[in-house]
Formats: sequence, structure tokens, C-alpha cells
Amino acid sequence: MRTLFTPSRAALLIFFVAAALLPFFVDPRGHLLRVAAMVLLFAAMAQSWNIVGGLANQISLGHAGFFGLGAYTSTLLFLKLGISPWIGMFAGAVVAGGAAVLLSIPTFRLKGHYFALATLAFAEVLRVIANSWADFTGGPVGLSIPFMGSQPAYFAFRAVSSYYWVILGLLAAVCLAFHLLASGALGYRLRAVRENENAAEVAGVNTFRVKLIASVISAALTAICGTVFAQFTFFFDPDSIFSLAGLSVRMAMIAIVGGLGTLGGPILGALFLIPLEETANAFLSSKAAGLSQFVFGVILIAAILIQPRGLMAWWPKPRRRRAEASRPAVAAPAAKGA
Amino acid sequence: MLQALIDGILLGGVYGVIATGLSLVFGVLGVVNFAHAEFLMLGMYVAWFAWRWLGLDPLLGSVLSFVIVFAVGYVVQRTLIERVLKAPPAAQVFLTVGLLIAIENAALMVFGSEFRSVSVPYQVQGYRLGDIFIGAPYLYAFAAAVILAAALWLFLERSWTGRAIRAVAQDAMAATLVGVDTKRTYGLAFGLGVALTAFGGAVILPYITVSPTVGGQFVVLMFTVVVLGGLGSVAGALAGGIMVGVVQSMSTLIFPIQLQNLCLFVIFIAVLALRPQGLIKGA
Repeated sequence: MRTLFTPSRAALLIFFVAAALLPFFVDPRGHLLRVAAMVLLFAAMAQSWNIVGGLANQISLGHAGFFGLGAYTSTLLFLKLGISPWIGMFAGAVVAGGAAVLLSIPTFRLKGHYFALATLAFAEVLRVIANSWADFTGGPVGLSIPFMGSQPAYFAFRAVSSYYWVILGLLAAVCLAFHLLASGALGYRLRAVRENENAAEVAGVNTFRVKLIASVISAALTAICGTVFAQFTFFFDPDSIFSLAGLSVRMAMIAIVGGLGTLGGPILGALFLIPLEETANAFLSSKAAGLSQFVFGVILIAAILIQPRGLMAWWPKPRRRRAEASRPAVAAPAAKGA
Repeated sequence: MLQALIDGILLGGVYGVIATGLSLVFGVLGVVNFAHAEFLMLGMYVAWFAWRWLGLDPLLGSVLSFVIVFAVGYVVQRTLIERVLKAPPAAQVFLTVGLLIAIENAALMVFGSEFRSVSVPYQVQGYRLGDIFIGAPYLYAFAAAVILAAALWLFLERSWTGRAIRAVAQDAMAATLVGVDTKRTYGLAFGLGVALTAFGGAVILPYITVSPTVGGQFVVLMFTVVVLGGLGSVAGALAGGIMVGVVQSMSTLIFPIQLQNLCLFVIFIAVLALRPQGLIKGA
């Protein structure tokens, strides 16, 4: 398994080097770099989702909940107590991790549709709370982060490129976390749970604990993305930060279009989808309201019907073997990993 | 208190019919249709245009909604849903989520974002029984829902197609063996499911305005009803609808209006956790 990673490791390395050098070749304050930063951020979010959705095959439709918790925690800590968002970022991760534990208690037995429904309701609960508890959260108006010029200690920069590199670092960290999880013992156990939960349980895997660890890590990483998003965009409101179509579905969709449960999938998916959406927005939103979102929906339907295993399934052979290897390889290591 | 109970039952009866469609689709096809609430929205628009152009009362226009959305649903099932029936849940979930986004935004493009409502003579009328006030539009919508539920029951019990639908739900293979065209039956069941919901959408038009995002208000509500009654159970969905209606109107006595839905969500997660098979067994 480990040796099979080599060709895609090279591709990943090239990707990260190219991405790191990009700001030197484009306008460092321009729109293009903002879009590129969004691509990387969505790739990081999709990768975080992939830990639960891809490795354990627990389809979450509520990751916007963790994302929003991250954004709200760091921003509120900053606005009310003056705590730097760098610290708030980890506080948000802890809050989201705690929320993931709480959510796991009632939902850990649920599978497939039921789990998707329960997680969807979870994000909706947070959205309703954020909207109605106006004294604390600012209510439907949302929260703005005051512009402070360049203050690196408070996660505030003048140049887009600085945010861009932070986001790139985050993506690298999330990918590393995914890789370590996927190739480590926990990854084998997660895949065992995905393939056959009862068999994994019988083989000695503590399925609840395995899923809990995965969802806590996934939630914490998603929350960190939420903080970064808030700092990057300076503004968010409950309906956008807890949005089902805008965030929960999009994270999952990027991972699915790219290739569920694969390391490169979320990156490929984000590289493909976010620019497509940006272009669609730029050209179509003037034509008719809703057209670009309509296109988004149609792409999702088409992706599911044409290639449910994602873009990674069309990758040249060595990597393709890896994508497929993750499935049959499960049965044997699962027994050992236990 | 009694007032809230009656309001709840009247609302809940309609919720029941709306959710019955969702439950039917799951019971027969085994697919959780996340786009279901969008068909409610389509039904409301059909009834609105029927009122605007043909002067039809939404209670009559609901029949038109039923027929048109049935046709749309049948086509959607045969062209899209059919292809993921045997796919893993992830594919089914995201296909219907994609459908949700596509339909909602198609409506935004075609109908625009403004809220539309109808005006009918009985809108502000009502009946007074002692201290209790019963709003006419709520009462009529409830009556229409009850009639449709009875018709559905008769259809499923007595007609050949109804029996075929139940047979396919129980065992698709066996149904094929005795000569049921399963693919067609799946299409009919999906069409029927979304049509029931569209009908429910049309009859509430006198007291709820329609906009392309109206589906969003009903998604969790619908799923709460269905999960309360047990996914796939048609009778359970009706009972679940009444329960949700009562909870919703009772909770306004205790909580501020914006937290009304919060109660629903909490009940929803709790029921999923404790009794995913639904509160009402059998049926």
C-alpha cells in the first residue's frame, strides 16, 4: 500500500510547489489569486470531510455546522475578548471537536440516509440558534471582522498572497492528516467499518471509537477552515456559514467529484469545480438569477450518473490502482489491524 | 391550549399528506428523496398560476398540481432516479441533493424571487365554537388532505396498480415474477409520491406564500414527520404529521416564534437516535 503512494506523491509535490509559486506570477492583489485561494480552501474543507465521508463512508450533510462553529468561535473571541484569531482558530477546533462528540452520541448507530439526515438537522439547529440568539451571535445580520491593515499576530494581512500561503499551509496540513489517518492503523479500521461494520466489530474493532476519532479530527479541521474563511472574507452571516447547499453539500461534492476516500480527490475536485463555478458566476449571474446555481446542481447530478467514483477513477494507471486498491485491500488488513 | 391543539391538528393533517409522499417514495424505491420539498414548491406554483390565469381556487388547482407534478415526477424517476436505485446511499443522497439545487434555482430563473400569494374570499373567515376559532383556509386544507389520504388508501388497497406498488415495495423480485412491470411501477410510485406532496403544497397556498426557496422551510419538517412515523410507512406519516403539527403549535405557547423549528430539530435528532424505525410500528 505504502509503495503505491509514490507516483501520486510526486504529483502532489508538483502541485504544492506550483501552488506555492503561483503568487509570484499573478497579480498579488488580484481576483485570480483570490479564486486560487478559494480553490485551496475548498480543497482543504473537502479533504476534512473526506476523513469521515470517504474513509468511514459516513455521509455527513452537516459539516457546515463545524465550519460555522470555527468561524463564530474565533470571531467572537476576537470581537468580545480581543483574543487573536490564531488562538481562536484552535479554540474553534476544540469547540467543533466537542460538538462532534456530542453529535456522535445520538448518531453513531445511524447509517447512510439516516446519518445524512441527522447531520443535516445538526447544521440547521446551529443556523437557527445563530439567527435567533442575536445578543451573542449578532443574529441574522452576521459578524464583520474590522479591517486592521497588516497585523500578522492577529491574522490580518494587507496582501491576498499572505492569506493564500496560510491557506496553502492549511491544505498541506489537512492532506498530511488525511494521509496519516488513511495509511495508519486507524485508516484500516475505518475502511473495515466502511466495508462491513458488523464484521469489523466481530474482528475486534471498536467501531464507535474509531468513528468518533475520525469525526472529531474531521470536525476540528473543518472548524479551522471556518476560522480561516472568516479572516479571509471579513464577513459572514448564519445563513451563508451554515448553508446546506453552499457548504455542507459543496464540501462533499468536491470530494465526490474528485474521488471519494482518495488523497488527491478533494484537490482535483476543487481544481475542477471552483473555477468552473467562478466562471459560471461571472458569465451567467448577469443573465438570470439562479442560473449558476442551477448549473452547479446539474453538474452534481451529471457527476453522480457519469462517474460516481470521481475524477480519480480516470487517472492514469498507477494512481488508478491505488484508488481501487483501497477497496479490496480492506478485508485482509482489517483482520490484522484489529 | 385547546385552540393550539386544534390549530396543530389542522396544520398536521396537511403535513401528513405532504410527508406521506416522501414516505411512499422511500417505502417503495428505498431512496430518501432530498429534493422532495422542491416538488411541494412546484405544486404551489402550479396552483398559483391556475389561480392567476384560470381563476381556479387553490383547493381545485391542487388537482392540477397533482396531475402535472405526477407527470414531472414520473419523468424524473425514469430518467434519473432509476439509474441510482442500486447505487450506494452516497450516490442516491447526492443525486437527489443535486436535484434539489437544480429545481430550486430553475424555479428562481423562471418564476423570479418574489413571494406570491393568492387571495380567496374565505382567507380571513373562520368558524367560532365557543372560545375556539377555526380559520377557514386551515379547515379546508385539512379537509382536502383527509379526502386525499382516504383516496390514497383506497387506491393502494383496491386498485391493481396500488397492489402492484405495495407488492414491489415488499419484494421487487417476486413482484417481477408474477408479472408486475417493476420499472414502470417505480416510476408511478415516485410520481404519486411527489404528486401527493404537490397537492399538499397547493392546498396550503391560501395561508402560505410561495417562493423558490419555500421548499427549504419544509425539508426538515417533512423528514421529521416521516421519521416520527417510520420511514416508508404511509399511515405512520399521517400520524407523524398530526404529531408534528401539534408540537409546532404547542411550542409557540412556550417559545418565541423563531425557535419553533428548533423544537422540531431536537425532536428529529432524538427520534433518529432513539427509535430510527419510527414511533409507530407496523402500518
